[in-house]
Amino acid sequence: MLLEYLDVFISGMTIGSVYALMAVGLTLVYGVSRAFNFAYGSFYSLGGYIAWVLMMLIGLRGGYFMVFALAIPILMVFGYFTEKAIVAPLRKRSDWEVKVMMITLGLALFMDNGYQVLFGPRMKSLPPIMDGAIEAGGIYISNQDLMIFILSITGILAFRWILNNTRIGMAVRAVAQNPDGAQIVGIPKDKIFAATFGISTVMVGAGGVLLAQKYFISPMGGWDILVKSWVITAFGGMGSIRGGLYAAFILGLLEAFVGYWFGLNWVLFALFAVLLTTLAIRPQGLMGKWG
Amino acid sequence: MLTITDLNAFYGQLHVLHGVSCEVLEGEVVVMLGPNGHGKSTLLKSVCGLVGRVEGSITYKGKEISGLSTEKLVNQGVIYISENRELFGEMTVMENLKLGAYSKYARKAEKKNLAKVFELFPVLAERKKQLASTMSGGEARMLAIARGLMSNADFMCIDEPSLGLQPNLRMEVFNIIKEINRQGKSILLVEQNIPQIADLADRIYVLEEGRITFDGDTEAAAQDEHLKEIFLGM
Amino acid sequence: MSMNWKSMSAFIAVIYGIMAIMPLFVGDVDHLMHILIMCLIWAVVASCWDLIMGFAGIFSFGQVAFFVIGAYASAIFSIDFGINPFFAMLLAGTVAGGFGVLVGLPCLRLKGAYVALVTFAVHMILEPFLKSGMGRAIGTGGSMGILTIPPLELFGISFTADNKIAVFYAALVLAVVCSVIIMLVIRSFWGTAFLALKDSEDFAASLGVSGLRYKLAVFALTSFLTGLVGGFYGHYVGMLSTRMLGIDLFVTLMIMLVLGGIGQYPGVILGAIMTVGINENLSALGSYRPMILGAMVVVLVLLLPDGIIGLLRRFAFWKTSAGEKAVTGGVDNN
Repeated sequence: MLLEYLDVFISGMTIGSVYALMAVGLTLVYGVSRAFNFAYGSFYSLGGYIAWVLMMLIGLRGGYFMVFALAIPILMVFGYFTEKAIVAPLRKRSDWEVKVMMITLGLALFMDNGYQVLFGPRMKSLPPIMDGAIEAGGIYISNQDLMIFILSITGILAFRWILNNTRIGMAVRAVAQNPDGAQIVGIPKDKIFAATFGISTVMVGAGGVLLAQKYFISPMGGWDILVKSWVITAFGGMGSIRGGLYAAFILGLLEAFVGYWFGLNWVLFALFAVLLTTLAIRPQGLMGKWG
Repeated sequence: MLTITDLNAFYGQLHVLHGVSCEVLEGEVVVMLGPNGHGKSTLLKSVCGLVGRVEGSITYKGKEISGLSTEKLVNQGVIYISENRELFGEMTVMENLKLGAYSKYARKAEKKNLAKVFELFPVLAERKKQLASTMSGGEARMLAIARGLMSNADFMCIDEPSLGLQPNLRMEVFNIIKEINRQGKSILLVEQNIPQIADLADRIYVLEEGRITFDGDTEAAAQDEHLKEIFLGM
Repeated sequence: MSMNWKSMSAFIAVIYGIMAIMPLFVGDVDHLMHILIMCLIWAVVASCWDLIMGFAGIFSFGQVAFFVIGAYASAIFSIDFGINPFFAMLLAGTVAGGFGVLVGLPCLRLKGAYVALVTFAVHMILEPFLKSGMGRAIGTGGSMGILTIPPLELFGISFTADNKIAVFYAALVLAVVCSVIIMLVIRSFWGTAFLALKDSEDFAASLGVSGLRYKLAVFALTSFLTGLVGGFYGHYVGMLSTRMLGIDLFVTLMIMLVLGGIGQYPGVILGAIMTVGINENLSALGSYRPMILGAMVVVLVLLLPDGIIGLLRRFAFWKTSAGEKAVTGGVDNN
């Protein structure tokens, strides 16, 4: 019994780590530019499909290392230019916030059905990143789960390091805190907006590559991720990266245990309940700065 | 160094500046006086690429710069120092200063400028790790000026540096600005009615209702009856 | 920038007037009559969306959800409780309105993007709920949906899919009534209140306008009307499934709004009619259809900031500034 719980716990932590990576990406874009990206789930699928094309269609050698080496720049460029093409032109308008949501929703429908046309409605799977398992005191942890966890955490730490120690990271934080101040000192705001969009695309796309090994890739598979990322973001506090991290692990565990006790169908209801409770009691989330 | 000719500026439908012409020569401190809400800040912001719609000519070091983005202007050595400071509150003093040197133009001289800034503002050197949002009004004003200096600019647009400061702090800020000027920066400064400004300014303009209504050196300004009326209430 | 009372009424009268005589020409073409009915139904749903989003400035993304709630509720009332479909529709509207208030309550404290996301979450949760055991327990039919919904019957007329002309005129009455209600709201004190609220909450508060009350009221009203029309739709087509909650329908509704112009009522009615027409022509494209709908949103949001109404106005402006005595088609800027 206890061992089973431990299994569930490990599974929750694994999923939680990937959710953390993705939720941080979503909160980053909102925190820096106040844009909410409804196509975030489709970007998740994009990561999965890029990995599938590289590994299964082209037969790229070099395993996941090469996949990430190629997918990350592709995702970055895709995100950057998506922002430039459809989000940036709206910024000048008074009702741009809702227009951004609408246009990204349109983009999501376009992309999802594009996947369907290109790859068909059938689910695709990817080989595990690593076979086998390690055993410690009667508990088995699959190497796959372990690698997913390690890679997600590495991704988050890398992101944090960039944010705190590089020039562009500092500029991103500056724009998030004070866009006018950032403009005054000569930070190219528009480029930073596009760059954060690119970075967040990399984060969610990488999450797509990681989770595709466990949950398959399907044309509409991103919606679940969008909803979860957003609930995590709201729970942790929109714009708060640390809050998002905690929230991702809490909700990853919640998902694992609710799924274990009641069945996977209940996960979404549980998340919805968390969302409503959060908004009723503490609308700014665990650590949010903005209502 | 900077020549503005027949400048018109707009905020949306609002026509704020009407055919303003003025200039700042190399090494000068030029002070733009005028009542609140008559377009002084808008003038500075127009120079620094922070106003949406600007018509007319602005030349800097002989080159036309009107319509350039703030980012490009910072790279050419023009910096705006805001009246409400616009600091990065959740960052340390050091990070604020580093961000001041974000542009390519500033990067090459970052170390040299940092040393200069700490020499000019010893208090900032002591508080490198303090968060900007926790500083007092006077310290924050110093940090804003220091951050502007980090941009390695040759030309500084300073918006009401004394706003909200006590008289003794005001004098300190003015003395620092004078020192900055002595070290070779040209300055266009906006102020409301402050008698002490006379010591600082090489020349004075007065901007009323979006138009220049006075132009002259400090002595001429001191003798101008109209100026006395509007600023000193005599 | 919205139209004045006269041009608004004229605009609506012309559109619905043209619609009203359409059966004279295509009354015996079953397929076209269906399209006309759907034009009217979506015109109401989209108008409600425009009222809450464009006019009241509340970024509600729950419009399709309220429609589906109304449709299911009306079907369940009439099947499981044997309530006359007409009253079932009214009850369904009330249920949807109740949900509107429930969803609206947490949204009152929230800003912009959050409201959109909470209401969208309601949309996303609805499909798994309707399919779940809980949903089956209240009669949603789970994944199967509801297959045999009795038609609306009034004054001895049965409004079934076999009698589309009757359905059409019933829908027209519904659409006109809804439009009049919406216009009354826009022109009433509510309208003034919302304009004030959009400008500045503080300013509105200084006028004694309580944002909360009006926002809640608009949530209730729009979801009531949307639910009512949802019920009408269910009784007309006779079956329901959760497929309506797909993103493509949501995006289609969005196209109506963007095409008509957000906050440019009654432009959205024109937007709805055009969108239903376009969508019908796209159906031959099969799986490319949703792709094209998605692309359309992107292009329209970028290129048509104020929809067709905005375009007309710009055209009118251009004409007047060219020195002509322009006939602006009833559009003015007051």
